[in-house]
Amino acid sequence: MPEGTGPVICMRISGNSTSHLRVVLILISIAGFIAFLTYIPDIVKLVIISILLAYILDPFANFLESRGMSRPTATVLIFIAIVFAVILAYMSVLPLFAAQISGLQAGFSPDRAGFVISRFEDFLMPYLSFLGIKELNLMGRTQGAMAGAGDWVLNHVLDAASLVTSMILIPFIVFFLLKDGREFKRAFVSLVPNRYFEFTLYLFHKLNAQVGNYLRGQLIDATIVGTMAVFGLWVIGVKYFFLIGIFAGLANLIPYFGPIAGAVLALLVSILQTGGLDKVLYVILAFTIIKLLDDAIIQPVVVARSVHMHPLTVLLAVLIGGKLFGILGMLLTVPLVGFLKVVVHESILNYRRYRTA
Amino acid sequence: MNKIWENIFKLRQKAVDEIDAILLKIPVFQDLNKRELKKIKRILHQREYSSNEIIFKEGDIGLGMYIILAGEVQIVCGPDNHVLAELCRGDFFGELSLLDDAPRSAAALAKLPSVTLCFFKPELIDLISRDPQLGCKILFRLAWVIGERLKSTNEQLKKISCLREQDPLSA
Repeated sequence: MPEGTGPVICMRISGNSTSHLRVVLILISIAGFIAFLTYIPDIVKLVIISILLAYILDPFANFLESRGMSRPTATVLIFIAIVFAVILAYMSVLPLFAAQISGLQAGFSPDRAGFVISRFEDFLMPYLSFLGIKELNLMGRTQGAMAGAGDWVLNHVLDAASLVTSMILIPFIVFFLLKDGREFKRAFVSLVPNRYFEFTLYLFHKLNAQVGNYLRGQLIDATIVGTMAVFGLWVIGVKYFFLIGIFAGLANLIPYFGPIAGAVLALLVSILQTGGLDKVLYVILAFTIIKLLDDAIIQPVVVARSVHMHPLTVLLAVLIGGKLFGILGMLLTVPLVGFLKVVVHESILNYRRYRTA
Repeated sequence: MNKIWENIFKLRQKAVDEIDAILLKIPVFQDLNKRELKKIKRILHQREYSSNEIIFKEGDIGLGMYIILAGEVQIVCGPDNHVLAELCRGDFFGELSLLDDAPRSAAALAKLPSVTLCFFKPELIDLISRDPQLGCKILFRLAWVIGERLKSTNEQLKKISCLREQDPLSA
């Protein structure tokens, strides 16, 4: 045996005897850290959104760097571009957005809604009489539901203080993640023990490619679906087509339920708009075509790696996301679960590949 | 007070200069100017190993090259840990891993407490996409190093085949 290799074997033996204790300690630490995070859901939400945004913006910063810019200059330029885009959106799209929101509120005025609901009740009653139902009281039920929904929206969406905090903090975190992301990664890797150091870097490299592709793919997919929905609803002549289209695009981030939610909203608005079922067939047709195009062309091309999730997983993710972080949570939890699934799957796969190479 | 600060600064500067000097002696980084060297230093990882600590095992996926800043490293292979080479300050190893995903053909072991700088493939790929000019310089020098290794292997093979021709039994 060559000189100096004996102690290595001794170290391995003693290492094996303490490895279980180490694993237990690491698991306890992770559990403690997760428990701590549940006490600060607002900060966690901000950090998660910022990480997702930084991931999406990273290729732009890399592109500018490849054109000879330094990383800080590239980051500043991206932020200037974003500010211009926001101003442009504020001037061009926001008036339309605001007009459609106020229009939607007016469209749901008690008189008009009452008229449509009573017509719908009249239409249903002859079919339900054989069940012994004499009165549905849809109007009362709807008013109760709307009041509850109003409170929910006030509590979860229109929280001005948290909105302003997010508007300031998210760009702040994204800026530094984008500018100093590599240094953060290096600092993190420097904490990893020598034994796992190469594997950690290998894993980071693999995850970066997979997760980045997944998130950017999801965003592009949502944008295309949203644009198609806006265009389709505009052609059909559905009111508030812009608002519903954006919602359909965002809802598309949620598999199974998202596309249905977008279609249901469009159907409801078309029924309230016409007071009948005139446009229902066209709306269903438009959303079916969008869904088919999404499944057959957009997803395979744009989303490099589809993350298969069981419908029950999606439902639970949406419910938990909604409970913890409101509407935004409902939209972001599914991509986040997809992100975690990619992380766990790639970690296990690459660990096996790394060790059995 | 000023002298203390000056001394601290000088010590730090001395360490930086020493790292620069070692890096500039490595063929892969020989052609780089000061600005490019600074960029490279930003993506290198510095690791410290205690005596007899394994740096990487035989069979692990190779991720990149190591440059020895201090200490001594043994390259060993096989179940009996046959020593292939002993490397010291300024030497480098594992550069082939910057180009392929093949498993490590030998293990590296810190014979003495050692400090290494690590230059890894993911960072090289990232560098090529961000600064293609610098990336090309490094790849060119890397190809040169591999070429030199190939030449040396060919020479050794020639010597062995000459020996076989002269005396087939002893070869």
